[in-house]
Amino acid sequence: MLFEHPPRSRWASLSLMVVLLTSTPGLARERAPGAEGRSEDAPLQAPAAVASPPPSRPGFQPLAVPVALVPGLLFHGLGPLVAGDTHTAKRLFAMEGAGLGLIALGGVPIALTGASRRTIAPLYAVTLAGFSVLGISALANLYSVTATAFEPGVAPPVLPPLELEVGYQYVNDAVFDYRHFVSVGAQARFESLRLLGGVRVAPSEGNTQVRLGGAWRLLGAPERSLLGTDGSALDAEAFGQFHRYPTEGFAVVSGEVALRGRLAMARVSPAMAGSFAEVSLGTSLETYTYPGAVSDGNLHEQLLFTFGYGVWLGRGGPFRGEAMLYYDHRKDSFAGGIRSRGGGVVGAFGLRGRALLTETWGVAAEAQVGGALVGRLSLLYALGGAR
Amino acid sequence: MRRGVKGWMLAALVTAGCGMRPAENRAIVDSKVGQAQQGGLTLVVEDGLASVRELTPGTLVLWGNAPAFSARIDVSAEAPSDWLVMVRNAMPDAVLVAEDAAGGPLAQESLPQALPTVKVWRVALRAGTSVRLSVAPPDAESPEPFRFLALADVQEALPRVGDIYARMRRDDAARFILFAGDLTSSGTREELLEFQERLEAGSRVPLYATLGNHETFTRDAAEYHALVGRGSQSFVFKGVRFSVVDSSNGTLDPAVEEQLEGWLASSRDGTHVVAMHVPPQDPVGLRGGGFASRGEAAGLVGKMARAGVDLTLYGHIHSYYSFTNAGIPAFISGGGGAIPETFDGVGRHYLSVDVGADEALRQVALVRVD
Repeated sequence: MLFEHPPRSRWASLSLMVVLLTSTPGLARERAPGAEGRSEDAPLQAPAAVASPPPSRPGFQPLAVPVALVPGLLFHGLGPLVAGDTHTAKRLFAMEGAGLGLIALGGVPIALTGASRRTIAPLYAVTLAGFSVLGISALANLYSVTATAFEPGVAPPVLPPLELEVGYQYVNDAVFDYRHFVSVGAQARFESLRLLGGVRVAPSEGNTQVRLGGAWRLLGAPERSLLGTDGSALDAEAFGQFHRYPTEGFAVVSGEVALRGRLAMARVSPAMAGSFAEVSLGTSLETYTYPGAVSDGNLHEQLLFTFGYGVWLGRGGPFRGEAMLYYDHRKDSFAGGIRSRGGGVVGAFGLRGRALLTETWGVAAEAQVGGALVGRLSLLYALGGAR
Repeated sequence: MRRGVKGWMLAALVTAGCGMRPAENRAIVDSKVGQAQQGGLTLVVEDGLASVRELTPGTLVLWGNAPAFSARIDVSAEAPSDWLVMVRNAMPDAVLVAEDAAGGPLAQESLPQALPTVKVWRVALRAGTSVRLSVAPPDAESPEPFRFLALADVQEALPRVGDIYARMRRDDAARFILFAGDLTSSGTREELLEFQERLEAGSRVPLYATLGNHETFTRDAAEYHALVGRGSQSFVFKGVRFSVVDSSNGTLDPAVEEQLEGWLASSRDGTHVVAMHVPPQDPVGLRGGGFASRGEAAGLVGKMARAGVDLTLYGHIHSYYSFTNAGIPAFISGGGGAIPETFDGVGRHYLSVDVGADEALRQVALVRVD
């Protein structure tokens, strides 16, 4: 029957989380000597005690940009190396090597074990950790040679306690009739707690997704007071979701938990100041209900995994926000996974940005490419956002 | 710069065959399977249930992909009158009924063959007429219960597949094998021909298949279409409907789903078995070996459940799983020998399935080969 696979898979899920978190570079610095005695909510600072002075931010070298593309996307440190930034080059070569190594370490056993139900979770964790490190180093390679032409952005010093948003979402999925959605959402920020909610409704078709949850900041300063920090953080997240598909005749109810870590890439190299890497790992349980005589009763698990590379927008003024290019492994979103010749294993890629343009008004946008194309544009309104 | 990266990624995805409807082309090619015009004949196999392997003056060779099928033939004035009609992958007891447009029988002679699934007839076709050929075992429409075998995922274990056929030969009751995709490693012509040669040499019953994602690795399954048949098709045997659909991209193309809806409607009150390669839902959710969209998967299994499907059979995952999807009994039986799922205690295997038109699903048994 469906749930004949052993309880060991729960332990495997846990181990998957641990591997990814420990593979996120820099988070371990939370416990570096320079940080001892600091409370959990204290702002994260770049490590102070180092043997030698950190290298300074290099200057812009135009020739490094094309090299970072070709062959830099294959050899991630080449762009910075051409720019004379050996410190960054070494870090990127090391990250790329680590990423490829982790992919091999997890991927080869997956192939050899036929993706065994007994071992898939930890092996998946190692493999995805490898892809995240590899993907982050690829994008960091591009950023490190282009961003030096500009003054880097900084993490928003302060964010408002309440943000409301309303927008439009377009979905082009060959297998679903829905296309146009109204999108509304809200985000409330407390000290360590953030509460988030969102609703997407297709008025003509009736497809409705309601998502509610929150995030608890385990490490790093609260979003409402990031001033003086580099924005690195670790959050525990929990969400519940209801999604109704009236045309297809079913609804899905799910609950999920995840850990999400964000690392200011300036900790890796000064050339990456203004950017951050983000990795999240979690799991969801979901159940499907079918109106009428159809009875399912199964509880389905899902691996939740994302990684991304982003930049902070704004330099300490009223304009503040972020943009991130990311990969999302989940298959129950509007984008779903990519329908490829390997089946449905690969998730979706996306680009999202969110920025307050003034003290009270802002915009958010997102584009995703998975099995479907998804685009969303929202207007933000901030309450209590005086800085 | 970032826009350039995203454009590069999109281009990479599209060229990798990951468009919005990656299975659309195969659905189109499906509709042309079983059609040929050559040697003075214009041939259309109804519902594409056989592929045309050879059509030259005086010789017609078909690869059957269903226990019973019919073909409509227009004979030109220039066509020869003496024809050899060979059906490979036929039911061992299949007979040929050849009729002219008025329903009158045509002269024919059955020629003995060494292989049980190869049937050959000498048929006299009159120039300038239309004829209908039907190939089926005598009991194809009688509603008694029967047994078939379910198998998937041979791939690189093709040299050892004879072991599976040898085990299957010990079961005299099995009528045919239903194969849920991944016959070969990469779907090349050479691999598929080897698969069929080993099948004919080792099995006493035919094998009716849908394609798997590995068949798409070579020219988007063009060789599969030429040598085996449709990726999505439906046939009725002894009152039980069998529908196989091409899910090899982790999705059903909308055109295929529309076909399936028709088959579901036509068998709403009867026994219906549906098979596909990639299962909509992987029972090990963390692995996620099912469809790319969980919403699409749920919609599909719900649709099948509402239409009263009695059994769903899948491959792609190289082990044995018994579960339910939207209440429908479901089995994954990827035991053809491709890199096996370790630590599952199963090994190479197939399913023995007893069904009946009046009794629906009677029994599913796991048969171990190793």
